[in-house]
Amino acid sequence: MARARKVFFRRRKVCKFCADKIDYIDYKDVKLLQQFIPERSKILPRRISGTCATHQRPLQQAIKRARHLALIPFTTD
Amino acid sequence: MRTYELMFVVDPRVSDEEVVTMAQDYKNMITAGGSQITGEENWGRRKLAYPIDKITEGKYFLLYVSSEVGKTALPEVEHRMRQNEKIFRYLTVRTDEDLKKAARRPPRVGPEADRDREREASDRDRGDRGDRGDRGDRGDRGDHGDRGDRGDRGGRHFEERG
Repeated sequence: MARARKVFFRRRKVCKFCADKIDYIDYKDVKLLQQFIPERSKILPRRISGTCATHQRPLQQAIKRARHLALIPFTTD
Repeated sequence: MRTYELMFVVDPRVSDEEVVTMAQDYKNMITAGGSQITGEENWGRRKLAYPIDKITEGKYFLLYVSSEVGKTALPEVEHRMRQNEKIFRYLTVRTDEDLKKAARRPPRVGPEADRDREREASDRDRGDRGDRGDRGDRGDRGDHGDRGDRGDRGGRHFEERG
């Protein structure tokens, strides 16, 4: 017997920066960056966060700058 | 015209006044090198995300600089900061290109901006809505009975997008 094709509804991910129209990702904006560093303080991958490539790049840069200045952690121990 | 942001983190054992004089030194160097200081922010004491030299706090200071091409003393300033062991971290970022690409201005961030926003919010008169009163008893929610067997939910699917 053929198995019925499962229909999946997955919430469509949208890039936060496109949706909120943020063009300049500031390394000083800790509150914003914190949304992209989960518990272990790693940078949240695009495949999870839904951020588009155009915005993931400056986001990554901003997170690294903020880390250097000890605004956000490199890791949690 | 190029614009830069210069942020540095100072040992918290250094007094606030001394932080300001240090910043003034750097500002003098920058203006002497032919650039302009377009703004500054003193974030004050802030907890570090990780300890630096076993110290868990730092004093943050931020300078906004604008200068013509080639007329900048920033390398010298960085050199001085590197030699100053009271400065835990510093970072110079060139901002003109990214800001030009961004059509909209970025929101102001930092404790000063937060303070301004708070003041604005508290200035707005929200009016008195009065007491909302007692919401009363919600009553008995009743017994929903046995929900029965849930049946097969299928396996997990590892597709990226549906």
